[in-house]
Amino acid sequence: MSAAALAGRGGPAVAVGRRGFDRALLLAIPATLFMVLLFVYPFLYGLWLSFAPAKGGALANYRTFFTTPDLWPTIGITLKLALPATLINVGIALPIAFRMRVRGRWQRVVTTLLVVPITLGTVLIAEGMLNYFGPKGWLSHTLQLLHLYDGPIRLTHNYWGVLISLVISGFPFAFLLILSYVTGIDPVLARAAATLGAGTFAQFRHIYLPLLAPGLAMCFCLAFVQAFSVFPSAVLVGAPAGPTRVISIAAYQAAFEQYDYSLASAIAMIMGFVQLVIVAAVLGLRGLFYRGPVAGGKG
Amino acid sequence: MRHDFRELKLERVTRSFAAAGGHAFNALDELTMTIRRGEFVALLGPSGCGKSTALNCIAGLLALSGGAISLDEQRIDTLPPEKRGFGMVFQNYALFPHMTVERNVGFGLRMRGMSAAEIAPRVARALSLVQLSGQAGKLPGQLSGGQQQRVAIARAIVIEPPLVLMDEPLSNLDAKLRIETRAEIRRIHGELGRATIYVTHDQDEALSLADRIVVMKDGVVQQIDSPQRIYAQPANLHVAHFMGYRNVLEFEVTAVNAERVELSGGAVRIVGTLCQPLDGRRAVVAIRPEEIVVGTRDGGANSVRGSVTGVEYGGRDSLIEVLLDGGLRLLARSDVPAERGDAITLSIPPERALVYPA
Repeated sequence: MSAAALAGRGGPAVAVGRRGFDRALLLAIPATLFMVLLFVYPFLYGLWLSFAPAKGGALANYRTFFTTPDLWPTIGITLKLALPATLINVGIALPIAFRMRVRGRWQRVVTTLLVVPITLGTVLIAEGMLNYFGPKGWLSHTLQLLHLYDGPIRLTHNYWGVLISLVISGFPFAFLLILSYVTGIDPVLARAAATLGAGTFAQFRHIYLPLLAPGLAMCFCLAFVQAFSVFPSAVLVGAPAGPTRVISIAAYQAAFEQYDYSLASAIAMIMGFVQLVIVAAVLGLRGLFYRGPVAGGKG
Repeated sequence: MRHDFRELKLERVTRSFAAAGGHAFNALDELTMTIRRGEFVALLGPSGCGKSTALNCIAGLLALSGGAISLDEQRIDTLPPEKRGFGMVFQNYALFPHMTVERNVGFGLRMRGMSAAEIAPRVARALSLVQLSGQAGKLPGQLSGGQQQRVAIARAIVIEPPLVLMDEPLSNLDAKLRIETRAEIRRIHGELGRATIYVTHDQDEALSLADRIVVMKDGVVQQIDSPQRIYAQPANLHVAHFMGYRNVLEFEVTAVNAERVELSGGAVRIVGTLCQPLDGRRAVVAIRPEEIVVGTRDGGANSVRGSVTGVEYGGRDSLIEVLLDGGLRLLARSDVPAERGDAITLSIPPERALVYPA
């Protein structure tokens, strides 16, 4: 991401050296090379591979995908997990980050607490969830002990298990990103709004939200891409045979169970295309909002 | 929106902050004063003196640690800023970067639930008052610093607040624009006929704008007075120092005769005017460089001799540094050319040599 931005813009020195060759551009070579080797080449190779199936024409893989009843629905299944998970993560992270905008003792404590899951990794989260949310887990036991709910709770090995896992692992990421956007907005703007009669909610609604919108869109995209490629939790705490058979499982099975690399590449391409459509739509919406410095005037 | 307020009363307003080591210090210590309708009050002092703290306390952006603020008979120090309805102009303007000039200025009115039809003419009037009528559709980022400043003023006054609070509003402008905007602020204050509290560290700004000046140091009020009195009769040495009394010399008191004090130090003997009761045998004399009369002949009583050791050219006159025969140094303004090494006589009017306890 940052490597691409670097290679694309090249920093302010470009403007200076427009008339001749700017030697500072040479600094972008390692990053560009890195991008080409690790991203562009595998992508183009996969693209080519997806159009070169073992049998049938160039489009055979894509035809297979959209006609096989256990392949094409994976798009819908994945979207049904990734979109709500992203909305929940961004939607919950925003008010919490807004509350935490004032630097203080609490900001550090809460930030630390919220960030812990990011260091755990999906597998550890899944294990914890199986212990906690499973039919014989603590949650179930506690509810039964308190006679709040006597039936078995099923929060694992189904849709909800994966959704909860995506929220646990994705939330800290969304929170940290949004917190950095929120604290980047000059607090004097909110104070000015307050002297003009805006209460806390009005300050959020009229000052913070419009200024955060572009950042929120970016955060949504990154969190969505992360959630869309869900794999471990869909297997570990989901029902990988049915309700949480996400697109990455389909790609994995094509590649490593059927050894059809060509079909797997086609599925990966479709996966990328769906992500691209959502990201492009969200970033397109971003263009409707103000983008620019978020300070109130001369510093 | 109250049009009928008479006065804002500050009673022992105090604000303390926690300092390193768990101690609390008073950034503002028992500020007591009454600001009447129509008055222009300047809070003046060096940075860190508590003047901005005082302004933020009045605006409601800082909670008080003690004391009370009331508008007429109503206590307001417990109200949040959005309920006080004072217009505030911030040092860095704090314009909303995503709103046009028009929407910035109309923000306070929208927060009061006014309809677009009511807002438009008020915004237009406020913008014409600050002479920005043609810029209504622009974003703040497209305006110059001076224009942004005037938008900030328009935004603060359009809500017709009883009080306009200004926190060093000119400190980001260049010298010429600062003087122009200063006149503008005074004119707008006159047209609105409400009270303005203006925070500044610039004595010229305070003297030219204010009806009353509050000089502060370390959170404590040093003097509250008219600009004329602050300029000519500083209440203590801190105020004198801040108001441009650049010669501060310590002497031995030899005689006190009501207001007149005779002092001596080395070979120098001068007569000064007592401004604050003395508490010992030593006293300090504060003299403004421009009130010393520079000549070459003996100026009679209260004159001292010396030689020029430095000249700082200042256009209409020069600031000269003089080494007196007794070893003391004085700064004086001279409109006759002087050069280093010139022998010179300085006459100090006794009524302009202000004597304070050492």
